[in-house]
Amino acid sequence: MPEVSKMKKPDVKLVLLGDMNVGKTSLLHRYTERKFKDTVSTVGGAFFLKQWGPYNISIWDTAGREQFHGLGSMYCRGAAAVILTYDVSNWQSLAELEERFLSLTDTANHDCIYALVGNKADLTDPRAQLSQDSDEASKDRMDCGEERTETQVLSACPTPPASPVSLSGITPGKQVTPEDAMALYGRILRYKGLEEKSSLPAEKMCFETSAKTGYNVDNLFEALFDLVLPSILRNKNENQHSPTVDLEECRGAKRGRPGCC
Amino acid sequence: MSVKAFELVPAVERDLLMGDKARINIECIECCGKHLYMGTNDCFIHHFLLDEVTSSKGKLTYSAQKLLHKYLGLKKPVAELRAASALERLIVLCDGIVFLVDMVTLETVPSAAGGGAKIRGVTAFCVNENPVNGDPFCVEMGVISSKKRTVQIYMVYEDRVQLVKEVTTPEQPCAVSVDGYFLCLALATQYMILNYNTGASQDLFPYNSEDRRPIVKRIGREEFLLAAPGGLGMFANAEGVSQRAPVNWSESVIGAAVSFPYVVALDESFITIHSMLDQQLKQTLSFRDGHILQDFEGKVILASTKAVYVLVPLPLERQIQDLLASHRVEEALILTEGAQQNIPKDKFQILHKRILQQAGFIQFGQLQFLEAKEHFRKGQLDVRELISLYPLLLPASSSFTRCHPPLHEFADLNHLAQGDQEKVLRCKKFLISYLGEVRSTEVANGCREDVDTALLKLYAEQDHDSLLDLLASDNACLLADSVPWLEKYHKYFALGLLYHYNSQDSAALQLWIRVVDGDLQDSTRSGLYEYIVDFLCSCSNPDLVWKHADWALAKDPTIGVHIFTKRPVSKDVTELNPEEAITYLGKHSQALLLFLEHLVLERKIKKEKFHTHLAVLYLERVLSLLSEAPADEERLNRARERLQALLRESNLYRAQFLLGKMENCEQLLLERATLHGKLEENDKALHILVHKLKDFSSAEAFCVWASSCRDSAYQHQLFHLLLEVYLDRSLPGKSQAAAAGGGELEMAAVDLLNRHGEVFDAVRVLRMLPEGWSLQLLRPFLGRAVRASMHAGRTAQIAVGLAQSENLQLLHDRLKDRKKPIFVSEKKGCHLCHNTFSEPDVVCLPGGAPVHTHCVAQRVRDSPTKRQLTNSSNHT
Ligand SMILES: Nc1nc2c(ncn2[C@@H]2O[C@H](COP(=O)(O)OP(=O)(O)OP(=O)(O)O)[C@@H](O)[C@H]2O)c(=O)[nH]1
Ligand SMILES: [Mg+2]
Repeated sequence: MPEVSKMKKPDVKLVLLGDMNVGKTSLLHRYTERKFKDTVSTVGGAFFLKQWGPYNISIWDTAGREQFHGLGSMYCRGAAAVILTYDVSNWQSLAELEERFLSLTDTANHDCIYALVGNKADLTDPRAQLSQDSDEASKDRMDCGEERTETQVLSACPTPPASPVSLSGITPGKQVTPEDAMALYGRILRYKGLEEKSSLPAEKMCFETSAKTGYNVDNLFEALFDLVLPSILRNKNENQHSPTVDLEECRGAKRGRPGCC
Repeated sequence: MSVKAFELVPAVERDLLMGDKARINIECIECCGKHLYMGTNDCFIHHFLLDEVTSSKGKLTYSAQKLLHKYLGLKKPVAELRAASALERLIVLCDGIVFLVDMVTLETVPSAAGGGAKIRGVTAFCVNENPVNGDPFCVEMGVISSKKRTVQIYMVYEDRVQLVKEVTTPEQPCAVSVDGYFLCLALATQYMILNYNTGASQDLFPYNSEDRRPIVKRIGREEFLLAAPGGLGMFANAEGVSQRAPVNWSESVIGAAVSFPYVVALDESFITIHSMLDQQLKQTLSFRDGHILQDFEGKVILASTKAVYVLVPLPLERQIQDLLASHRVEEALILTEGAQQNIPKDKFQILHKRILQQAGFIQFGQLQFLEAKEHFRKGQLDVRELISLYPLLLPASSSFTRCHPPLHEFADLNHLAQGDQEKVLRCKKFLISYLGEVRSTEVANGCREDVDTALLKLYAEQDHDSLLDLLASDNACLLADSVPWLEKYHKYFALGLLYHYNSQDSAALQLWIRVVDGDLQDSTRSGLYEYIVDFLCSCSNPDLVWKHADWALAKDPTIGVHIFTKRPVSKDVTELNPEEAITYLGKHSQALLLFLEHLVLERKIKKEKFHTHLAVLYLERVLSLLSEAPADEERLNRARERLQALLRESNLYRAQFLLGKMENCEQLLLERATLHGKLEENDKALHILVHKLKDFSSAEAFCVWASSCRDSAYQHQLFHLLLEVYLDRSLPGKSQAAAAGGGELEMAAVDLLNRHGEVFDAVRVLRMLPEGWSLQLLRPFLGRAVRASMHAGRTAQIAVGLAQSENLQLLHDRLKDRKKPIFVSEKKGCHLCHNTFSEPDVVCLPGGAPVHTHCVAQRVRDSPTKRQLTNSSNHT
């Protein structure tokens, strides 16, 4: 854990959004700590600073609980990428994205990119039950392998997530197909008023992952890091040009003065 | 898990404030330096002087002294108090009115002539701690008015207040905080940031002001702390962005403040303390009836309705040590690093290093070696701290003492492991790898002896392969300390290496010899004997060599002699005098032989003495083998071959001397023949070969050998001699054996002629041959002789022809040239040497070009045709 880097100013922001229990925290854990561990439902939000080459990327893990819904727009403010997360075994979690979460992203950057991520793919897709990378030893490599204890669950049938209050888990809803996700992606673009042609294609921006086995997790984050690189560079540039003085504000101040009583 | 970050210290007790008047409650407080002001529900302001007292035990207490109290005359509670110390004014909110009070007298400041000193209809106000106006005698203030949905900005002067700006808000605001131009507002249903200068606003997040009291607390430059739904403390900056993760405090927080790196919050019954670094709850203090929590210039003050307390932060180092004491390494480090901004740089570095080292030791104690190592490295740990944990590893002479206060709680490794040998072993393995890594880095600077000696001891104890590598390379192991240790673990070979490294070769050798002799046990090195021989071989001290060579030779002369024969030729190894060596080796006959062979055969030293000595030794060996009763043929043959080879090949030994030694030995005829040959007594040699040995092929070989470096005439002569010996009838005893032996010799003669015809003069041979020999017998010889003679004749004829034609040609030229004059002058050059002519005698080349006489003579001498002619004429 780069404790020191908590002091550093991030160059760009990524936000994980999605209903409670879809596995946002687990995804972030898997990526940053290379393991799948017990989580508690996130309170408020948390963030992690990822050193990516010379850049600091902050990844915000938000709380999916309804109670914290209001904080979402604030977390999304200035985001360069939003990861809209759902649970592939739970249709409702996809629907929630459109109904509840999409509007929170209004505060994100105008060129924010959106990824649709179906987590818990291990429950529906045999491929995701196996960890992608067999290379366990090399911990430095980004695509690091699966923990031994977890691969043993292979033959076990998918068990519903052991969550304390699993509203969506009560009726394990219909599964979500990749096509459903891609269709939603199209609707997101429309909502944002973006041309499908000039935007990133759905195939590229829809992922299925498993935080449990590590399936596709590194891919997801690294693909996004690559895509937000232009944002990073622009942020860096802006910071260089106006480190402290905001010209807009100065001019505004002068204009404002005569308005005094 | 908790940590003790703060202590709650009473500041103003109930008695001091209200005595026995039970209905009086504290409504608001303000603290400015030592001055504490308090507003009460009965419309009084109380002024105290608050002194910090540190007891002898280091415990902090407060003593409060009441200075003054003043009734404001409004019969309403004093809602808010703010000091403007530069103006010596208190800004007071009471009964919806903001007005100014003198800080010292607590008298209400009357309105100045130019403007009022009162603002009416106020529900809340805040002071801008990051003012935009540069005037130091002016305080900026944000005010929420009860009627309109507006926020007003006022400038507060010593005796008046002035409205500078009014902004409307979408809903009625109920709490405000300001930083620069940014107002952070709690509206009825949401929080927002509003730039009162540009009017730009930014929604933060919704909440419900009816459910709970909002909190908007400026915590730093353009950063605010807000109470969010779900019991969260949310951070937001002026851009409406959260840069820190929220802390999870309780649903009913009344007040909050930041005392870096902690967020302190107060609810009805508890003070909760969260770290901003990791969002974790660090401490909970129970606090009943609390209703104010505010920070003043970094000091966090709380008040219940009746009394005032100060929340005193414990020194950071103490907190960190507490964390470490409960083995919470990560948190301790986060706290340390989080405090970086608040501590001077050099002090921070010292602290940080120490914490890293302590963290390392904690992890070391938990056998988390990877992490421990990383922390030791980052903390630049003096490795000796670690070494000193292991009993007896540090050399006795080391000046090291553990740092104080100690970096860890362990007396030593045994204490750490509590008798668990498995643990001890793992720790030792770790130290081995750690020391191995650091010994060549700057970490070991200044304590290389300690590090290397410790490593040596561990290697020896753990039977580690690298012991020898350590000793064989550059090292700083202390001899005095290492000797007993290596002896204890029977690492005698290694000890020898260490002696050697310390230039005590003699000690090394003595030790190793004892191992080879079995006095000491150490199987480290198989082939230690050979190692010693090698060692002596390249040993630069001749005395040592002489001293130990005897032992080596006695053990195995053939290998021992390598000391003498395999000495590398280089500057560092002094050359041993061969004569001395020979004398020395006198008693080791086998080694002596090998050494002489080395000198004569390998190094090819051309010294009569060595050659004769070697030949004599060979001879003695042969003689002794001969004298054995059943002669071992094979060994004998080998010995003789060697002798013969030396006799044949060397020209340096004293042949006469050797001959004398085997004069009477009839078994060594071949050797004797060779010696005769060396003495050029070829007839004697051949006589022996032919008549005594009857070994014709050897005789022939003798001729070839004896004439090999001589001219052909000598060779001819030798072969003729052999032929004569074959054909000699005068030999006594020959006649008797004429039938059998005579025929044998003759056959040898025939074979010789047929085989080596070319070296014989056929005419002379024919004269010598007995009349009765058949032509058929000599056919190959004769055939070859005739052909050779014919060939010579014809070649001669060709030469004659060529010479004649040349002559003719010259004649022709001469005739041609005679017809015209040949001009020779001093200006004309010779065609051959290009010098001018100085005398009239010239020679004309074919074609008429005049040349010097001496030039042409020279040319004729060099000409290949001429040489050929000379040869061929010889043949004729
Ligand atoms: N089978 C399976 N279970 C998962 C996976 N990811 C998460 N879970 C489980 O799903 C539950 C919820 O995971 P979290 O990561 O806490 O979910 P969250 O999205 O952070 O939830 P909130 O913080 O409440 O918004 C936990 O019980 C996890 O063990 C996955 O890839 N496969
Ligand atoms: Mg979560």
